[in-house]
Amino acid sequence: MQSAKKQLIYLYCVTAVSPTLKEAIKLVSNLYFVYYVDLYAIVGKVAESEFGQEDLKANMADLEWVKTKISLHEKVIESVLTNTCVIPFKFATLFNTDESLKAMLTEYTEEFKTILKKLKNKEEWGVKIYCDTEKLKASVINNESEILEIENEINSSPPGKAFFLEKKKAELLAQSANAIINEYSQESFELLKELSFEARINKLLPKEVTEREDDMVLNSAFLVSKDKVDDFINMVDTLKMHYENKGFFIDCTGPWPPYNFCGLSKQKVRNA
Amino acid sequence: MHNVAIKSKEVTLLEVLDRVLNKGVVVSGDIVISVADVDLIYLGLKVLLSSVETMEQLRGSPFVGPMQEAT
Repeated sequence: MQSAKKQLIYLYCVTAVSPTLKEAIKLVSNLYFVYYVDLYAIVGKVAESEFGQEDLKANMADLEWVKTKISLHEKVIESVLTNTCVIPFKFATLFNTDESLKAMLTEYTEEFKTILKKLKNKEEWGVKIYCDTEKLKASVINNESEILEIENEINSSPPGKAFFLEKKKAELLAQSANAIINEYSQESFELLKELSFEARINKLLPKEVTEREDDMVLNSAFLVSKDKVDDFINMVDTLKMHYENKGFFIDCTGPWPPYNFCGLSKQKVRNA
Repeated sequence: MHNVAIKSKEVTLLEVLDRVLNKGVVVSGDIVISVADVDLIYLGLKVLLSSVETMEQLRGSPFVGPMQEAT
């Protein structure tokens, strides 16, 4: 049996150069780093009574606890990120001893070094595009001749025929809207990708989660060289200018720790 | 700082949650936070969720119950 005061080692991130913890330590007072195999693991001590297997499971069901701890996790990593590039770890990556942490570092030494080399002088930016489909349809009506024609036909048709034409019109509108959404999000992604070192498309998040009225139509992440960030942001502004009056909303956030660009080769990720 | 770099508070919790829970590097630590435990968080967020399908979409992978999770 473990004593109640036993502590666990919580891993936030790994860096290739000695990290500056001056700011991060204000967030987590017992923060320190373990230097091993030429890597720096930024860790803190947490109580087993809070992060032990069973307690962690119980705490994960407590939304307030999760919010607080997740924010802390992110802030610590962001703070380290201001001085050097980092490999950010998943929430609650825990070790019993420095030895088991070091064993993990040994196992992944080459892979971590390769990733950190790739991340040098680069930042992760997130771009989400939302679309107000009704607003888009309204601008489609104004622009497409096919819709205008059917509109005229509806006005000069008897009610029975008009009913079916209305249905046809609604279908055409939906098709047009879909085509435009695909075209714009694809084009935006490609243009931003050209300014990036790497790019990813992630799953769209449903409205229940985004709590927005409009639909998410693109959820993407970009790894951008620091000297290209200005160009990247100018491109986002250009896209905003072109699309925002057509019912699109472009949400650009960053710089983020490179969560989307630190994937380990599959076969190594396994449960202990 | 750039103007667009507004990590507005509300959006960010969602963004942070999605990144920190689903995208951070996964290694075999001594205590493993299972897929089922991550689901608990989303269950905690059930005000935001309407169904299990939503949870699948959110995690971007098929739903794996605790029963199937061994090995």
